[in-house]
Amino acid sequence: MKVLVAVKRVIDYNVKIRVKADNSDVDLANVKMAMNPFCEIAVEEAVRLKEKGIASEIVAVSIGPKTAQEQLRTAMALGADRGILVETDEALESLAVAKLLSKVIEEEQPQLVLMGKQAIDTDNNQTTQMVSALTGFAQGAFTSGLEVADGQAKVTREIDGGLQTLNLKLPAVISADLRLNEPRYASLPNIMKAKRKPLDTKTPADFGVDVAPRLKLLKVEAPAERQAGIKVGSVDELVDKLKNEAKVIS
Amino acid sequence: MASTPPAHHRTIAASQQAELVAFLQDTLGPKGVLTEKNDTARYCIDWAGTTGATPLAVARPANTEEVAAVVRYCHQAQIPIVPQGGGSGLVAGALPDAQKAELVLSLERMQRIRHLDPLNFSVSVDAGCVLQTLKDAVEAEDFTFPLALGAQGSCQIGGNIATNAGGLNVLRYGMMRALVLGIEVVLPDGRILNDMKALHKNNTGYDLKQWFIGAEGTLGIVTGAVLKLSPKPTSTRTAMMACSDVTAAMRLYAQARRSCCDLLSAFELIPRRCIELAIEASPELSDPLDTPYPVYVLMELSASGPVSLDSMIEGLFEAGLTDGLLLDGVLASSDTQANQLWMIREAMLEGQQLHGLHLRTDIGLPISALSDFHQQASAMVHAHSPESEVIAYGHVGDGNLHFNILPPPQLNEDEKAAVLHNLEMRLFALVPQFNGSISAEHGIGRLKQAPFLETLDETERQLMQQLKLLLDPDELMCPGRILPRQSQRSSDSVF
Repeated sequence: MKVLVAVKRVIDYNVKIRVKADNSDVDLANVKMAMNPFCEIAVEEAVRLKEKGIASEIVAVSIGPKTAQEQLRTAMALGADRGILVETDEALESLAVAKLLSKVIEEEQPQLVLMGKQAIDTDNNQTTQMVSALTGFAQGAFTSGLEVADGQAKVTREIDGGLQTLNLKLPAVISADLRLNEPRYASLPNIMKAKRKPLDTKTPADFGVDVAPRLKLLKVEAPAERQAGIKVGSVDELVDKLKNEAKVIS
Repeated sequence: MASTPPAHHRTIAASQQAELVAFLQDTLGPKGVLTEKNDTARYCIDWAGTTGATPLAVARPANTEEVAAVVRYCHQAQIPIVPQGGGSGLVAGALPDAQKAELVLSLERMQRIRHLDPLNFSVSVDAGCVLQTLKDAVEAEDFTFPLALGAQGSCQIGGNIATNAGGLNVLRYGMMRALVLGIEVVLPDGRILNDMKALHKNNTGYDLKQWFIGAEGTLGIVTGAVLKLSPKPTSTRTAMMACSDVTAAMRLYAQARRSCCDLLSAFELIPRRCIELAIEASPELSDPLDTPYPVYVLMELSASGPVSLDSMIEGLFEAGLTDGLLLDGVLASSDTQANQLWMIREAMLEGQQLHGLHLRTDIGLPISALSDFHQQASAMVHAHSPESEVIAYGHVGDGNLHFNILPPPQLNEDEKAAVLHNLEMRLFALVPQFNGSISAEHGIGRLKQAPFLETLDETERQLMQQLKLLLDPDELMCPGRILPRQSQRSSDSVF
């Protein structure tokens, strides 16, 4: 069974995000980039499926700038067999990503598509669902447990108030939640081997997909800094401040 | 160490203690002095769990002038003082004395970052500023203050200077001494030595500030400093590599310095047992490599500017594999993974702590002698206490080996202490044979005083004693730390 796993290049989870001085966007200059943590979990799950003999080939796909090759190499160091980069410098929206992924899926014909439930940069949480709609694949979003056997995927999902278990008929697209697994470290011998694994580069034009954004980013602002608290001397003063300064009681 | 002073100290001191407290309240205000046992208890225990006696009071001055006023008063009243930072010392130097009651002077209210000079790559700070606070503040301005140690969330700059702190990045940036450009000290008689010059070069006479760096508070109280900054690295790579033994790890070190453009910022030796201790203390951590290996090296490269650290690490790894120095390795692919690797380094200390009484040492060695020392010291432990367990790790990139020993678990506490004491003596006896030091970074304080005195020759001992008496003839500043009390007068009770 072939597994396709999508990986996104994002700002490293540990970096303190800074906004550009002109508020046009997040400042990415000299900022450490890494694979989206939920995508790491998706890659790990694919590798475990291969180690169990369920998956026969793992194809990692990334859509983004040329530098996203680094994240594909990481995926290959973790165990993916080859990589596909759909290269574009455009700031892509979820729908464009979903359309491109659907085209790659059409070409590659995987039985299972794994991706992160959301990317930690814009937190959209839309691509899995859109890919499912575009391809007609069964959908299992927010997966915290996965068993694949007999052409079916048994998916445990974290939902409000408990767990839901679904049986999906393959092919399916599944998005990884935090508790699905704990990703491994890339070993240096495997990092070396990953350099020799094939990596194809394509463009959105190759797939005939228009990736022009439909939304315009107007402004990015850092959250307001929290004001320091004060100590009040008496209940009367507290009531006065709540009434006249905070204006939360009348 | 007794937890309370003999009763006569308190009774005799009563009137003088009351006068002292009144003076402190008057001078420092209500926030500036603590006397209740509940309030002072936390100043009487350090990270290692060593406890000191109840102090006369805890003074918490808010600025250098207030420190000077307190010291002047104590000088006149002949009251001994022990200055205190974040309480993360390991040699009981900052804990109040049991033999003669002391005033604890805490710098914790002096937290100001005074001035950052971006072009001069320097920052001036109050001594009570917590190291992590300073690191975060300069990082926000694209600088790094490279001193890095486990206690950085609580230790203070003044304590870092007084103890000449070391830590993880010494091999690249030096110890605290190398990071101090200027200093402000309240001398034992209350005078203020103001040498807050932000100069990278200054050859005018004796370099007075050096006296106070690493003096453990015995020559005066550091109240402020000008520190050297470095550009914040724009890329950092952390790798954990596996070696067959310590000798291979040290050969790898030499290769790493040369083949990575000297961009190595940390090189930590971690034996297999430490990985197990780390996971024992923090079960959420996982073994980074698939299979266990005898020895690991946790290394970090960092750089600002356009260099490919990945290709350096990969080149080093390939060469290491070819030469048989390396068996395996992982490279953190994100800062999150890098932090996890460093968490192993921190959690292993907690794991060691979980095993109760153990011998903690802090040996300094020529880097070239480290592997031989490790071998001979391990053989010595095996010969004299085969059931004791050696846990030797450290910042070996700067020749610092924490050669620690867990005693046989079945012994009772007294027996354990006896075994460890015996092994410590034998270990320290080995150190001079390798031209080493019994304390690379923790200092002497009280706990290492006896073995330290044995390492001094007559000239060294005389100079150290003369320096102490020159600055503190009445022996009121941290008496009994580093050197034993010298004068007859100080052996009589002040009170």
